[in-house]
Amino acid sequence: MTRNDRWQLLPPLLGAFCAFVVVFALAACTNNPYPDSDNGQRVLYTSFAEAPKSLDPAVAYDTAAHEITGQVHDTLLEYHYLKRPYMLIPGLATTVPKAQPQPDGSVTYAFELRPGALFQDDPCFELGGAGKRTREISADDVAFELERIADPLVNSPVIDPFSNLAGFAEFSARLSKLLKSEPGFKSLPARERYQRALPLPGVRVVDATHLELRLKAPYPQILYWFGMPFTTPVPWEAVEYYSGKNGHPHLADHPVASGPFLLSEYDKQSRMVLDRNPNWYGAKHPEWRAPGATYPSDGEASDGPAGRLASAGKALPFLDRVDFRREKESIPAFTKFLEGYYDTSGIIRESFDKMVKDERLSPEMQALGMSLDKSVIAAVYYIGFNMDDPVVGGKSGDVSKKLRQAMSLAVDVKEYTRLFMNRRGVPAESVLPPGIFGYEADYRNPYRHVDLDRGKALLKEAGYDNGIDPKTGKPLHLTFDTYDTSPDGRLRYQFFVNAWRQLGIDVEIAATNYNKFQEKVHDGAYQIFLWGWVADYPDAENFLFLLTSDMARTKNNGPNTANFSNPEFDRLFLAMKTRENDPERLEIIRKMRGIVEDQCPWIELYHPEDYSLLHTWVHNVKSAGLSVPTLKYDDLDPSLRQQKRTAWNKPVVWPAYALAVLLLLVIVPGVLTFLRERQ
Amino acid sequence: MTEVLNSYLTSNLIVLSLLLGALGLWRAVAKNRLWSEALRSVYRRRPIAVWVCALYLAVGLSDSVAWVGGAQVGTDAVASHQAKTVLDRIFGDTKEKSYSAPFADAEFYAKSKLRHPGSHVLGTDILGRDVLFVTLKGVRIALLIGGLTSLISIPLALLMGVLAGFFGKYIDDGVFFVVSVLQSMPSILLLIALITALPKSTLSVCIALAVTSWVGFCRLARGETMKLRELDYVYAARALGVSEMRIIWRHILPNLTHLIVITFALTFSGLVLSEAVLAWLNIGVEGSWGQMIAQAKNELSRDPVVWWNLAAAATALFVLLLAINLIGDAIRDVLDPRTARERQ
Amino acid sequence: MLAYILRRTAYGVLVVLGVLFFLFALFFLVTKPDDIARKAIGDKAMPAVIAQWKKNHGYDRPLWPGPGHMKDNMLVEHYRRMLTFDFGRSDADDTVILDRIEKGAGPSLSLTLPEFVLGLLLGIGLSLFVAFFRETYIDRSAVVLSVLAMSVSSLLYIIGGQYLIGKELRWFPISGFDPSWAVRQRFLALPIVVGLAAGIGSSVRFYRTVFIEDIYKDYVRTARAKGAGELRIMTRHVLQNAMIPILTNVVTEIPFLLMGSLLLEASFGIPGLGSLTVDAITGNDFATLRTMVYIGSLFFVAGQILTDISYTIADPRVRLD
Repeated sequence: MTRNDRWQLLPPLLGAFCAFVVVFALAACTNNPYPDSDNGQRVLYTSFAEAPKSLDPAVAYDTAAHEITGQVHDTLLEYHYLKRPYMLIPGLATTVPKAQPQPDGSVTYAFELRPGALFQDDPCFELGGAGKRTREISADDVAFELERIADPLVNSPVIDPFSNLAGFAEFSARLSKLLKSEPGFKSLPARERYQRALPLPGVRVVDATHLELRLKAPYPQILYWFGMPFTTPVPWEAVEYYSGKNGHPHLADHPVASGPFLLSEYDKQSRMVLDRNPNWYGAKHPEWRAPGATYPSDGEASDGPAGRLASAGKALPFLDRVDFRREKESIPAFTKFLEGYYDTSGIIRESFDKMVKDERLSPEMQALGMSLDKSVIAAVYYIGFNMDDPVVGGKSGDVSKKLRQAMSLAVDVKEYTRLFMNRRGVPAESVLPPGIFGYEADYRNPYRHVDLDRGKALLKEAGYDNGIDPKTGKPLHLTFDTYDTSPDGRLRYQFFVNAWRQLGIDVEIAATNYNKFQEKVHDGAYQIFLWGWVADYPDAENFLFLLTSDMARTKNNGPNTANFSNPEFDRLFLAMKTRENDPERLEIIRKMRGIVEDQCPWIELYHPEDYSLLHTWVHNVKSAGLSVPTLKYDDLDPSLRQQKRTAWNKPVVWPAYALAVLLLLVIVPGVLTFLRERQ
Repeated sequence: MTEVLNSYLTSNLIVLSLLLGALGLWRAVAKNRLWSEALRSVYRRRPIAVWVCALYLAVGLSDSVAWVGGAQVGTDAVASHQAKTVLDRIFGDTKEKSYSAPFADAEFYAKSKLRHPGSHVLGTDILGRDVLFVTLKGVRIALLIGGLTSLISIPLALLMGVLAGFFGKYIDDGVFFVVSVLQSMPSILLLIALITALPKSTLSVCIALAVTSWVGFCRLARGETMKLRELDYVYAARALGVSEMRIIWRHILPNLTHLIVITFALTFSGLVLSEAVLAWLNIGVEGSWGQMIAQAKNELSRDPVVWWNLAAAATALFVLLLAINLIGDAIRDVLDPRTARERQ
Repeated sequence: MLAYILRRTAYGVLVVLGVLFFLFALFFLVTKPDDIARKAIGDKAMPAVIAQWKKNHGYDRPLWPGPGHMKDNMLVEHYRRMLTFDFGRSDADDTVILDRIEKGAGPSLSLTLPEFVLGLLLGIGLSLFVAFFRETYIDRSAVVLSVLAMSVSSLLYIIGGQYLIGKELRWFPISGFDPSWAVRQRFLALPIVVGLAAGIGSSVRFYRTVFIEDIYKDYVRTARAKGAGELRIMTRHVLQNAMIPILTNVVTEIPFLLMGSLLLEASFGIPGLGSLTVDAITGNDFATLRTMVYIGSLFFVAGQILTDISYTIADPRVRLD
C-alpha cells in the first residue's frame, strides 16, 4: 500500500470510531420519560386517552372531563370514600339536609355552607375590586350555577333533573324568550340576564351561608346531584372574565374552583397538571375536621385488611401534584405502567392473562408488589332496537316481538366478554346493575341465555322461517348502526353479526362517521344499535327512566334511544320514582322488569367490571363504581418508587456492542481485500 | 349502482374479460419479436419472482369468481344464500371460536377442543377465522388496489401528458398548472382529505390513490411525447395530412408502451404500501393486509404472544412487494434504453 | 433576471389560488355544516346554539357569489381567510388553529430536521461506500438488502422498533414527549432511528444508482488514467457531479419538513403538526385538515420558487423561460 492510499483509509476508520462512540453513548441512555428533577417528588403520574371537551362544570358530562372537574370543584355534598352502598356525607355544606315536606305538596331542603371557605386565587377576582385575588364562597355562587344550568346559552345536558326545582323550567323559558326577542340580550353579562328572568322560587338565597331549595314534588335523588360538579359554587367573576375574548381563555378551559386541587397546567392534547390548592378549606382549616377533608376512620370490612385505614383521621390531600399525560395508544401506556412510570393503570386486554389468573393477581405481579382493585361499575351496556322502526319496532306487535326475542336468544354474552373483555363484565339479565336497589342476583331473564333452537322456533312463528323474509325470499336484512370505525370495534360488531347469521338473519354493519350516525338517530333512521349507560347516582330511577316514553330519542331528544313506549311501564315508573327503597318499590321494579323481559326492546349485554392495578408504593386507592373524585384520598411513597424504577429499568446494552463488533467483522476483510487488489 | 358494481355477477364478468384481454395480449406479444424477447429476458433474470407473482394472481382470480349455492357454510345460515368464491369453497367451513396457534388441536387461551383440530396452517384469529384463509383473501384486495388504481391513473396520466406534449402551448400550460396544483399538496394529506370527503368504499380509496399518483407518469409521458413529436416520420405523417389523433394513436402511443409497463411495475408496490398506511389510520380498505397488521399489532403484547396474525399479513405483503420490486427492476433494466447501457 | 423571478412568483401565487379552490370544492361542497356543528357541540343543542356555532365558524353563508352577496359568501370568505392566515377555530374542539400550529411546529421540526440530515448523511455515505466497493460482495449484498428493506412496510418498522428497542432493550421510552430540551432527546431517539431504518433502503438504492451511473462516465476514466486515487475520484468528482440530481430530489423534501411525519408522530406520541393532522382525521375536523393541506402547499410552492431561482443563478444553461 502506498502512503497516499493509507491516508485514504482514514475516513472509513474514522467512521468506525464514531460508531463505537455512539455505542458507548447508548450506555447513558434511559427510558425515563420525566425530567430527572422530578424523581422523589410526591407526584402521582397517570395517563388519559381522550382530551376533555369542556371543563365548564355546568356542561362537563364525559368521564375525561370529570377526571379534572371532580377534583378541582368542591360540592356541597360528597360520597363517603369507603362505605358501600354509597352514602352521602357533607362537603362544603355542614350537614346533609333532610327533606321537609310542605303543606302544598312541595318539598324543601335547607343547606348551610361552611363560613370562611375561599375560592382559589385567580386574576378574575379583580373584577370585584383591584388587587383582589380571591373571595369567600357564598350561597349566591351556588344559586348562580343553578341559574347557569337553566341558561340556554350554556347548553347544559342536565336541565331535566333540575326541572324538578320550582319555577326552573319557566325561568329557562323566560331566558329563551328574552334571547329571541331582544337583540342585545345575548351580550349582557350573565348576572344581569338571570336577574331579568327572575323569579326562580326553587332556589332561594336566605343569606351568605344559607340556601333553600324548593321542589315541585318529592324527588329524593336531587341530593345526589349536589354531589356532582354541576352544583359547585361558581363565581360570577370567572364567567365574565373567562369569556374567550380579550386574550382570556374560555371558562371551558380555565376552571375557577374551590376544591382540594387546582388546575395549574392544561394542554389538553398532551398534559394536565393538578397542584394543591392552598385556599381549600381543608388545607386552611384542618382543625374543623370536616368529613370532606379528613380521611375516614371506618369503611367496609375489606378496607382494614387491604390497608386502606392506615391514614384514618389524617388531613387531606396527601399528594402535592397529579400529572396526567396523554396516551393515545393503550399498549405503550401499559408498558410504561409496568416500568413504574405510571402509578395506576387499567389492564389492557392483550396483557390480561399475564396479570390476572383465576380472578386474582398473578404470582409474577404479586412478586413485584402490585395490587389489584376490582369493582363493578354501575352501568349497563346493551344492544337496542329502535321501537319506531317498522320491521323491528313495536308497531308490528307480536311479529317483531318474537323477532327481537329470537335475536336476543342468539347472543352469547359470556363468549363476548371472554373474547373482548377478558370476562371483565357481569352478564346482564336486566336493566339494573349490581349495587343498585332493585337488582336481584337470582333473577334469570329467559331471553338472555343462548338457545338457538328456541330462537329458530320463534322466528318461524313470526313468519321468518329460517330467517327468510317472505317479502323478498332472501334472508331478512337488518342494519346495525355504529360510528365506531376502529379495528377493534369492527371485530366486536362482527361477533354479533355472526351470532345472528346462525339464525339466518343477514345483519349489515353500517359504520358511518359520527355526523351521519347522529343524523340517522335524529331522523329515526336506524334499526339496531349498541349503547351504554353509566349511572349518575346509585338509584334505580336513574336506569329505568331510560325506557320511559317521555325520554324518547326521536321525539323528545331524550336518552331513550330505543324509543320504547309502554303506558303500563310509564305508569309503574311514576309510582316508584320517588319512593323509598321499601318492599313495595321492589315489587313495582319487578313488574317493570317483567315488561322489559317480554317486550325485549334491549338485548342487555353486561355490567362492566373495572380492574385497576396499583403499584406497591401507592396507598389508599379504592375504585368506585361511580364516577366520584378520589384523588385527595390517595397517597404514595416516592422513595420506594424511585428505588423500584431504577431496578426495573436497566437498559440492555450488550446487543449494541455485539452489533458493532459484527459490522466490523463483516466489513473489514472486504475492505482490506479490495484495497490489496486495487494495487 | 354500487350494488350492481359489488354484485358477484359483475365480478365474474370482469374476471372473464380480464382473462380474455390477457389472452389477446399474449397473442399480440407472441407475434411481436421485440416484446417477446424482452419478456423472455425478464423471466430469465427473475424466474422465481415471476412465478410468485403468477401464484398471487391465481389466488386473486380464484377469489373473484363466485356463484351461489353448494358451498359448505357450517353454522352460518345466511351464507348459503350468498355467492361464494372458488377460494371460499376450497377452504369451506373453517371457523372456530377464537384464537388457536398454527396446527393446534385446542384453543389458545381457553384450551377447549377445536372443531377442526390440526387443520389451521396459520392458526385462527380472535373471531376464529382461519388466518391463512383471511390472508389469501387479502391478495385480491392488494391486487385490486394496485391494479384498479393504475387502471385509473395511467390512462389519465397518458391522456393529459400526451395531449400536453403533443399540442403544447395552452394545453400544455393548462395541464402543467393542474399538475402543479396537485403536486404542491403533500400527498398523504391530499390522500386523507380525498378519502374523508368521498363516500366510504374501495373505489374511493382507489380514486384517491390515483389522484395522488398520476402526476409522475404524466410528466414522463409529456417529456417522451415532446421528443417523439420531433421525429422524422411524424413530420412526414403530418405533411401527408394524417389527422393528429391518428398520429397520436399510431405513432406516439405505441412508443410509450414500454414506459407504461415500467411505471406500472414500479408504482404498484408504492400503492399497496400507501394503502397499508391508510389502514393504520383507519381509512383503508376492508380486509386488506394493512388492516390486518393494524388489528394485529396489539396482539404482540399478549402473553403468551399471538404472533401468527401479524406474521401472515406481513409476510404475504412482503413477498408480493419483493417479487414486484424485483420484476419491476428487471423490466426497467430490459426495457429502458438508458440503463441498457449498463448491461454492456 | 428580475422578470424571471416575478414571473415565477406570480405563477406560484396562481398555483396557491388553484389549491384553495380545490380545497373549497372538497370541503365545502361535499360535507354539510349542520353535521360538523352537531358533532362539535352535541346533537341535543338548541337550533339557536347550532346557528351561533355555524356563524362563528363561517359556515352559515351561501356557497357561491351571487346577486346580492358578491362579497358575503363562503367562497370569497374562504379565500380571504386563508390568504390572511385567519384560520379560525378547530371544528372539533374550538381551539384556535393558528395556536396549535405554532405549538406543533417545534416538536415536528425537532423530529424531522435531525432525521432528514442524518438520513441524507447516512444514505449518501453508505451509497458512496457501496459504490466504492462495487462488484464485491459488499455491493451485491447492499443491493439485495436495500430491495428487501424497501419491501417492508414502514408500519412494521414502527412496530418492530417499539417492541425491540423500547420494550425489550429498554434503551429509550416507547412513546411520549416533553417540551424541555434535556428530556426531549430521549423521546426523539427512537422515532428518528425507526424513520431512518424505514427510509434507508430506498435512499441507498437511489443514490447508488446515481453514483454508479457517474462512475462509468468518461471523465472518471480520464481522472483514473491521470492517476487520481479511487477515494479521491469518489469524493471529489463523482460526489460533486451527482449532487445536482441528488439536490433536486432532496430540495423537494425540505418544505415538508415542517409538516412533520404523520405516521411517526402518531405512533410515538409526538405532539407536532403530523399528530395534529391525524387528530383532525379521526375527529372529522375539516377546518384543521384544510388548513394543514393549504400550509403544506404554501411551503411547497415557496420551496419550488426558491429552487428554480437558485438554479437559474447557479447554472447559466438553465436560463429557460
